[in-house]
Amino acid sequence: MTIDMSKYLGLFVSEATEHLEALGRDLVALEREGEAGAIDSMFRHAHSVKGMAASMGFEPVARLAHRVEDLVDAVRAAPDRLDRELVDVLLAASDTLMAQVRDVARGSAPQEAHALLEQLSARLRDVTGRAPLPTRVARTVVHLQAAASADAHARPREEVEPVRRAPSRWALKFRVAPACQVPGVRAFLVHRRLAALGEVSELRPALEDLKAGRIPDGLVSLRLETSSSEEAIRTSLRNVPEVELEVLKAVEAPPPAAPVQDAGRAAEAEPGRTVKVRTEHLDYFLDAVGELMLATARIREVGKALPEGMRPPLEEGVYRLHALVKDLHDKVMTVRMTPLSVITDRLPRAARDIARKRGREVDLVITGADIELDRAILDVLADPLLHLLRNCIDHGIESPEERQAARKAPRGRVSVSVRRQRDRVVLELEDDGRGMDAAGLKAAAVARGSLSAEAAARLSDREALLLCCLPGVSTARDVSDISGRGVGMDAVKRSVEGVGGTLEIDSEPGRGTRFTLRLPLTVAVVQLLLVAVGDEVYGLPIAKVVGAVEADLAVLSRSRETALLPHGTGLLPVHPLAGLVGMEEATVGGVRPFVVVEAESGKVALAVDRLLGQEEVVLKALSRPLDRVPGLSGVTILGSGRPVFILDVPRLLAA
Amino acid sequence: MGAPVRHVVFLLQKERYALPLAAVREVVVPPGRFTRVPRVPPAVSGVMNLRGRVVTVLCLRRLLALPDGGQPGEKIVLLDRGRRDLGLLVTDVEGIESLDRVSAAPGRQSSTVSGIARLKGLAVTVLDPDGVDAAVAALF
Repeated sequence: MTIDMSKYLGLFVSEATEHLEALGRDLVALEREGEAGAIDSMFRHAHSVKGMAASMGFEPVARLAHRVEDLVDAVRAAPDRLDRELVDVLLAASDTLMAQVRDVARGSAPQEAHALLEQLSARLRDVTGRAPLPTRVARTVVHLQAAASADAHARPREEVEPVRRAPSRWALKFRVAPACQVPGVRAFLVHRRLAALGEVSELRPALEDLKAGRIPDGLVSLRLETSSSEEAIRTSLRNVPEVELEVLKAVEAPPPAAPVQDAGRAAEAEPGRTVKVRTEHLDYFLDAVGELMLATARIREVGKALPEGMRPPLEEGVYRLHALVKDLHDKVMTVRMTPLSVITDRLPRAARDIARKRGREVDLVITGADIELDRAILDVLADPLLHLLRNCIDHGIESPEERQAARKAPRGRVSVSVRRQRDRVVLELEDDGRGMDAAGLKAAAVARGSLSAEAAARLSDREALLLCCLPGVSTARDVSDISGRGVGMDAVKRSVEGVGGTLEIDSEPGRGTRFTLRLPLTVAVVQLLLVAVGDEVYGLPIAKVVGAVEADLAVLSRSRETALLPHGTGLLPVHPLAGLVGMEEATVGGVRPFVVVEAESGKVALAVDRLLGQEEVVLKALSRPLDRVPGLSGVTILGSGRPVFILDVPRLLAA
Repeated sequence: MGAPVRHVVFLLQKERYALPLAAVREVVVPPGRFTRVPRVPPAVSGVMNLRGRVVTVLCLRRLLALPDGGQPGEKIVLLDRGRRDLGLLVTDVEGIESLDRVSAAPGRQSSTVSGIARLKGLAVTVLDPDGVDAAVAALF
């Protein structure tokens, strides 16, 4: 074995062991329940072990795993041939593979399992009626060629293996190199390229985790449905650095029945035992894991300064540590998941109270409250949800008399429905009341000076509805003690966006209003543009950044003191960011960058000192008393350990 | 006069101050630099990263409107105030002492001060955590 492979040895041993244990479990499950899903899973495990062993140069392991894979494949085609003896042989093979892996772990060469190979071949002949294909083991992953090999050149491949004709579903597995500094970026890049070729499904780990670099052992698996050729898939990934395609193989079957299998297992398992944990402890765990991640990143930085020869062992250690901490983080996040019912349970009572106070009759229907979210998000969501409910009942639902006059049932209906939509949770709050008045909102916003009449005229009704989220804009005729002062909706929007969610409003006059909140499952990951002003660093959400321009502030033309930056066909007002955040404005002249961002009343240019680049960060909600500072939408901690504020430019300009 | 209560005693410039131990979570060393908070009064030193939490640090000297004696802040006393993450920058921390007799403080009345006590012959100004909290909240 060559020295450069040694740093992957630990990884190989732990992964191969995992796959082999899973293979054993699948075998037992298969015999007991005869589930087709288990065969697919076994095939994947055997296949993974083969690929790993081949790339490490452990030929006896690769050969045995290949034979197991062949036999499992054969059984997949002829499930009725699966009998007890066959399971025995496969179990013996998995035990032997495990022993070989243990040999490898001890540093000795794995023993060739001649007798077992013979037995497996014999069984394979029994099932398929043909001899097994020879295994070729190369240092690179060769299973595709190996699978087709030998007689494939004699006849067209389609005739040999009819099931592989024009496959449109592919199983892929790729690995991000352990030394990679930006695993999330690399993996995401691969995902994006594959997504461009077709439909990606069964992504493990989930996209959110992938982007955040939470990739246990750097392994990513997915299914791809595409009309592109195998070569096209390979080509699309060829130029991604630090990523190695480990498995690419056609799968003919629709997704294996994994969920069914899981459900079956869950039902059989004894009911889960639970303990109660104080929420502060959960917060502490998350903080501690966050600090562990930072500490790991710091060790990695220090390692870069070491001489070349000393780096690999440290890097392997750091990589393992990193993977473990990521796993721990995932576990902590799972534990923190809390059902929405924690905050929706109090809504019926609140609805009743508000309705009584305002002389309304309302039925509140809540569905999907068992869906879980990170409790940090739930905490932030509690007040906005109550506020929206108040709005619906107070402004949306008419009085019983009005409703009858409009030929509606006297009792109004407010529904709160929650559902999962891929990696998001969608919460809809809908009433069947009078709806919102888009024209009235435009007029109110113009009257308050938040918007020019021309800009208001250009807004679609849907955009206009969001004007109610501007501070001080309301169409409520009377100011009640419940809502209607025009404060609140801006807070709702800010809270939702603060955790990385979005707020949409749909309304139809006379029919009702729907507020749609799309929320991330866990604490949000956002893309930031980092900018420097003096010694300080600030983050601007990429979603609000239109572009960046370089110019010399001194030569820009001015109107009433405000510099104007030519951009596109127009002129944008320039605001020095230093001034906006209350710092001394630097007097140094010369060319500097300007960031063009979306503000409430159009684009503006922010003068900054330097652009530091884009970064994906985990957003933290602002704790007290920082949530009182206008113009901040969140805070994050960079890899260097430095806290950085994320600016809410429109509010910064307004404050 | 009342059972002795354990207090964290610290220096602010040359004067001695104390906070009830129950109101203090821990004492930490300030980082090399704070991240400034935009547009807040100068009493807010900035924020720091404490094991993944973002803690707002206040200059206690400025919060109490005391003159600058030229001594740098060497320690941060973190308050245990529920969900707020607040730290007070002080000159140095002396230790934990039991204080029993807290009498009225001289000078103008302040909600941040609950009184003075005697410790080994020296005067210690005892601060009221709720008053300090309110003074911080008033800055934002």
